[in-house]
Amino acid sequence: MSVAHEIEDRLDRDVDWEKLKAIVVFMVPGLTLFAIFSVGPMAYSVTGSFFAWDAFDMQHFVGLDTWVATFQDDSIVNWENMKNLQYPMGALPQNLIWMLVHVPLSTLLGLGLALLFADLRGRRILRSMVFLAFTTPTVVIGLVLLFVYDPQAGVFNELLRTVGLEGQVRDWLSEPQYAIYALIIGGVWVQTGFSMLLYSSALAGIDPALLESARVDGASRYRRFRDIIWPLVKPVTAVVVIMGMIWVLRIFAIVYAAGGPSGGPNGVYSVLGLEVYTSAFSIPIEYGKAMVVALVELFIALPMAWYITQMD
Amino acid sequence: MTRISMRSVSKYFDGGDTVANYKLDLEIDDGEFLVFLGPSGCGKTTALRMIAGLETPSEGEIHFDDERVDQDPPADRNVAMVFQNYALYPHMTVRENIEYPLKVRGVPPEERDRRVAETAELLHIEDQLGSDPGEISGGQRQRTSLARAIVREPSVFLLDEPLSNLDAKLRLEMRSELKRLQKELDITTVYVTHNQEEAMSMGDRIAVMNEGSLRQVAAPQELYQRPRTTWIAKFIGSPPMNLFEGERQNGTLTVPGDNTLPVQQETQSRTVSLGVRPEDMTVSGEPPESDWTITGTVETVEPLGEFVLVNVDVAGELVNVKVPSTEVVPGQDVYISFEPENAYLYDGDGELVA
Repeated sequence: MSVAHEIEDRLDRDVDWEKLKAIVVFMVPGLTLFAIFSVGPMAYSVTGSFFAWDAFDMQHFVGLDTWVATFQDDSIVNWENMKNLQYPMGALPQNLIWMLVHVPLSTLLGLGLALLFADLRGRRILRSMVFLAFTTPTVVIGLVLLFVYDPQAGVFNELLRTVGLEGQVRDWLSEPQYAIYALIIGGVWVQTGFSMLLYSSALAGIDPALLESARVDGASRYRRFRDIIWPLVKPVTAVVVIMGMIWVLRIFAIVYAAGGPSGGPNGVYSVLGLEVYTSAFSIPIEYGKAMVVALVELFIALPMAWYITQMD
Repeated sequence: MTRISMRSVSKYFDGGDTVANYKLDLEIDDGEFLVFLGPSGCGKTTALRMIAGLETPSEGEIHFDDERVDQDPPADRNVAMVFQNYALYPHMTVRENIEYPLKVRGVPPEERDRRVAETAELLHIEDQLGSDPGEISGGQRQRTSLARAIVREPSVFLLDEPLSNLDAKLRLEMRSELKRLQKELDITTVYVTHNQEEAMSMGDRIAVMNEGSLRQVAAPQELYQRPRTTWIAKFIGSPPMNLFEGERQNGTLTVPGDNTLPVQQETQSRTVSLGVRPEDMTVSGEPPESDWTITGTVETVEPLGEFVLVNVDVAGELVNVKVPSTEVVPGQDVYISFEPENAYLYDGDGELVA
């Protein structure tokens, strides 16, 4: 039997055409929106990244020129500084470093706080206090960080002076080698509230009898965590980690508020989102580059988004 | 192996606002099967949890043999506990669940395997060892949780309403199985239930609790035959004991419906209660020769196969009579009679008059 024949045969047997029509009719509105707001812009960006642009007008086809130029652009990837591990390294590596530091920190802190607050009196107040940072607009967080790290009046330097570390006092947001980490701490502060909340609800979902049973079985506090709690909150960990990575990938407002459109002096803590913004909306307008950077962001985020939708 | 003694143990919650247990005094013998029986909220589970070490007594002492344990964590007491919902670790297989207490105690792998196999065989779950707890039936989960409890040969075995999540048939089966296990292993066992049938059928002794304190500790037969207070009398038995409240005067007791009974015993108060179990009463349409008779009107007749339950209205109060068979019909005026030795006299404060 030929392949074509077989397909025809199967279609005839298994497909209820009336039902299929109904399904299609009902899916059209949703698919239309999805096409206009998701697939369309993506396809437009992919196409646009292969063309030259005069401001917002598409010109002639240039192939991979924009892509190559973007990856050679010091503001995106500074290959020379990367070899010497010196900032600025460019928005892409800096964004990845941000991810590497931020995600484990905020995840562990969130889990730690959730565990700490689980049996505490006043846990609701404490949780709300930690979660407050997540509800605060990130622009405000960036501004708060400006105040915290202010070289003269900043709380952080004052703290260093108080504990006798005058030698460490500096302008944290201008020192190329420290500035990004100073900002990451702000990001961690925000995300910890989120991961704590997810972990708290995961912990609340664990039947207390399981932990009591483990206590009677003779398990120490550490064993109870390792053998019972950790395996049961693992699915939440996957969500926390991936949401954290996506959040960091899209980070913008904190950096913009703290360092302006350049992302700090020489872009020492610039990130991809900021580069998309400056390429697209500040003179000289480089619309093609903005598209390429946005696509790079998308390609990093897509597998993570896919993974999270595959979870049970 | 282990004798448990509770000495004046009290437990308060919310800074003393809630009294869960008040001055429990109880000796549980080595190898004994003791049942805490009481309505929900009576503090029986809290008492069990204090023996387990999951709660610390607010006052009083708990001793295992000669050692005081009430401040020790559960791990140091060598107790095993079966929870109402089994509390099986959902991310471990049946084997891993049973193995877990041995693992945390550092038992070497070969011995672990041997003991898991032995215990699984004892409880007939050899075939389920590789399954997840979510895949097996309620009865098998129950067995797994029992296996996890006995695998490390505890000195005290604690069960918190272990059968309440099973269906009726399985419950009956597990009841005899549990009893068999306990006798075979000869472990001191404390069992919490609100089901008096379970308590009566399994316990060597039953500790009846209400409102946080012990009301009577006795063997099942004694509890049934000599309930010490009216509360226990009404709590034990199905249907429970009938109680007639009345005034005692010149050697007769006048109970509702102008019935008089020749009660001779001395009591502290004039107002007393007379208790008679439904199964010790007979009912008939003809006046019997006995002086121990109460008149009433039949309300309903429930034929239940092995016996007939006749509900008789005596001056507005319902009296249950359990008879093998009967001729009486609803609406009929009848005579309820009983033997004086089957009647229990309770003083005005509800205490049994000896």
